[in-house]
Amino acid sequence: MTYLKRAVLFFAFAVSCVSAWAAASPRAIITQAILTESSAEKRTLIASLSGSGDEVIPELLDAWRKDAIFLYPKGTTVVPVLLTGEKDDTGAQIAIRVDNGQPLTDASGKPFRLIGSDLKTADHTSALRRVMKSVLDVVDLVAANPAKRLSAVQTIGQAQDAMKLPLLEARLPEEKDGNVLRALREAIALIKLKDPKDEVKLAALAELQTLHTLSSADFLSRTMKEAEAANNQPVLKAARAALKEVESHRSVVDFLGTIFRGLSLGSILLVLALGLAITFGLMGVINMAHGEMIAVGAYTTYLVQNIFGTGIVIPCFGLSLSIPGMNLTGWAYQCYFIAAIPLSFCAAALVGIGLERSIIQWLYRRPLESLLATWGVSVVLQQVFKLMFGSNNVQVSSPLYLSGNWTINDVLLGWNRVFVIGFAIMIVFGVWLVLTRTSLGLLIRAVMQNRGMASCMGVRTQRVNMLTFGLGSGLAGLAGAFLSQIGNVGPSMGQNYIVDCFMTVVVGGVGNLPGTVISAFGIGLSDQTLQQVLLDPVIGKILVLVCIILFLQWRPAGIFVTRSRSLD
Amino acid sequence: MITKLTKYLGVGALALSALFGTARAADTVKVGVLHSLSGTMAISETSLRDILMFTADEINAKGGVLGKKIELVIVDGASDWPTFAEKCKQLTEQDKVAVTFGCWTSVSRKYCLPVLEKNNALLFYPVQYEGEEESQNVFYTAEAVNQQATPAVDYYLAEGKKKFYLLGTDYVYPQTTNLVLLEYLLSKGVPLENIGGGFKKDASGKIIAAGKYTGFGHTDYQQIVAEIKQFAASGDACVISTLNGDTNVPFFKEYAASGLTSETCPVVSFSISEDEFRGLPADKLVGQLGCWTYFESIDTPANKKFVANFKSWLSKSTVAGIVKEGRVTCSPMVLSYDGMYLWKAAVEKAGSFDVDKVRAALKSGISFDGPGGKVTTQKNMHLTKTVYIGETKADGQFKILKSFADVYGEPWLKGKFK
Repeated sequence: MTYLKRAVLFFAFAVSCVSAWAAASPRAIITQAILTESSAEKRTLIASLSGSGDEVIPELLDAWRKDAIFLYPKGTTVVPVLLTGEKDDTGAQIAIRVDNGQPLTDASGKPFRLIGSDLKTADHTSALRRVMKSVLDVVDLVAANPAKRLSAVQTIGQAQDAMKLPLLEARLPEEKDGNVLRALREAIALIKLKDPKDEVKLAALAELQTLHTLSSADFLSRTMKEAEAANNQPVLKAARAALKEVESHRSVVDFLGTIFRGLSLGSILLVLALGLAITFGLMGVINMAHGEMIAVGAYTTYLVQNIFGTGIVIPCFGLSLSIPGMNLTGWAYQCYFIAAIPLSFCAAALVGIGLERSIIQWLYRRPLESLLATWGVSVVLQQVFKLMFGSNNVQVSSPLYLSGNWTINDVLLGWNRVFVIGFAIMIVFGVWLVLTRTSLGLLIRAVMQNRGMASCMGVRTQRVNMLTFGLGSGLAGLAGAFLSQIGNVGPSMGQNYIVDCFMTVVVGGVGNLPGTVISAFGIGLSDQTLQQVLLDPVIGKILVLVCIILFLQWRPAGIFVTRSRSLD
Repeated sequence: MITKLTKYLGVGALALSALFGTARAADTVKVGVLHSLSGTMAISETSLRDILMFTADEINAKGGVLGKKIELVIVDGASDWPTFAEKCKQLTEQDKVAVTFGCWTSVSRKYCLPVLEKNNALLFYPVQYEGEEESQNVFYTAEAVNQQATPAVDYYLAEGKKKFYLLGTDYVYPQTTNLVLLEYLLSKGVPLENIGGGFKKDASGKIIAAGKYTGFGHTDYQQIVAEIKQFAASGDACVISTLNGDTNVPFFKEYAASGLTSETCPVVSFSISEDEFRGLPADKLVGQLGCWTYFESIDTPANKKFVANFKSWLSKSTVAGIVKEGRVTCSPMVLSYDGMYLWKAAVEKAGSFDVDKVRAALKSGISFDGPGGKVTTQKNMHLTKTVYIGETKADGQFKILKSFADVYGEPWLKGKFK
């Protein structure tokens, strides 16, 4: 009896709690969620907001997720506040109370400002953020931004929550964006897969078969297993057919993706190796310091980034060199990379010219000595980087326009990868123009073919050598600027790339620029294809190297053999 | 005349120095520090030398161990494994140190093992490792796999994750950890097809390697990220990463560019602590998880005092070339700190510096309240401690999400989960 009484009492209590929530305004619920200690209760409270159309919900939840809600201690209690508006000189902002939307006031009723860094932020965890997201997803179904709508639809579909089906179906006639529409149809079908009735399931499976989205594969194989266990032949057959369609779509995506990734890796190799193709290929200097020229370009990008930002202090051989920053923000700051590209070319070219004047000019026609000398230079340069920038890697942030992606028919095209392909094409075109359409190019070709003869004809070979080496080093600097966007920037970064550079040039044929282009793309594509087929990057890389060794056994001079009297 | 005078002076000086030398030797006890102070590992290991010097100063200021001041003998392993063995030999045979603190990579520890065992010396090892080892000459303050990897899996399972992608650098620690994780996941009812990264099987069909591996210094993660993106399309996947050091930069840059986030598919990394964070693109890592037995952000008076003391020690330090700016504390550092205090407690309990007696005292279960909470030594030369799971923030610190108190350190995990 007492048990029953207790149960009834408890039930009454629970109902009153729930109805209290239902009656409470979204602001009150969010305030309660911020203040409660229990993370489970936080989640329940936030989840209870789902379906409410109140527009303060996205505003407050977004602020909470982005750490813009602060806890203001008022006497013994804590008041959650949202800091908004312009910061004044001291960094203070207007504080809006979360519980009633009014500005925070002092005893006399005057609103006052607070400094965010003085206060504690309202806590949140990834589990809570997921609940917030599921609440926001429902709100986002009608968002103006298609990308937001897409992600909202996908999450709702993957949760397979039958309660949300009417919401999605209501959106179906109104949705105009093709991608979102496809996701919407998929989400509806995924939710219907959970339906106990066979004919609904079959219709959903038929829909998934026509849509053949990659994200439905797991759900299809799950349905297939369930149907197999229940010995439900029609569903099993339909699920199998749908899965087959998805798999064939997947192989198309993999194929196209591999080609794209191969092209992008090839472009990186090309950008890396083009400078070496000039210094090693055309001039015959075995330049082991090529990797450090790449690092010079990368560090220049790092410097430019800091100059656009808050400035930097470089300890330089005991002296401390302080470079003030321009304190730019937003788009102006994001443009640092555009400025960094020509600057890294110039910086690396200057270092290259200095190197040529001081060391390499005495070593033409002496490949072994040039190898040793440039190796020494590379070690010296690495230590210089360590002294100036520290032995840790430095952080180079990617500008916004290089850190997104396009997804076309499930093939992922990263903006940085698309950029490198375009960048490589431009550089190759530029080098081709310089070599074939300018008088400097004519002189370079003349000197490289026969230094003695060119000298006899009155060409100032010393100057041409210097400029050619500068051009090659500058191209390495460009590669460095780009590599800072996808990899590490550190004192020994050059060592990671030097082998790849030589490999590309040698396979292409020493002294032959078109050969370098073809070998870069060839190596890139075969590397990615082998990775895709073998599913193992380590073995893939080994196989590429083995293939290169075999290839060079067959054609020791590379793809294109340059016949010339001068490359002695 | 002059030559005679110098001779006398010389003899006098010798006698004096001998006198003071012995007097000094009686008051100090030699303790070895064996870390790489040059080469690729120097970035990580130099921090451990710093914390050990700080700890020794702190203990000496309070009167030392058994009335003797700690005299550190610091040698450089130079990121070269045979050098580690050589320096270990020098410490134990020439310098006759009472105990050594050192090693970071598992391979350096394996190189030191024969030297330690031959001389019956004692080494305190502070960095997370793969287990499957229990030498009587090493005390492992390090995290065993069940103090880092399996709690992370538990956390993910509780979060409702169903698919796990295993990714690591190709060497002994990730390979062994992932095999243990595979067994653990299967024992938790996660089907084989929900574990990503691929498997290698031997002729009999037994799985001998699980997960995807890349070499040290690998730069091209396009293929792997594309694979993860497909793997995570169903929205309930996560990544368990044992990628080491540098390779995290290209991986996380590619990961962010592909549109994957900590909300769609979180990554837990076992090799990124506060110290490694200094060289990583912080904005790309926000929201991803870490799992250690200590975080600098632990909000206890003991930890705050420890961090403040270490920083004030650093600012006053006159050690040549020590980095003073932007320093943080991390799990391997705190485990080194705890290690030295545990050794002190064991010596005091045994009443002697003798290795056998100290070992017996360690095995008897000694507790120390460290910055990361209470740690207790175990019979199997490992440490019971609290495991924390944290989320990375933009400032390179971790926000603690969950903690598991008093987790027993278990090195032998292969074949344990059925």
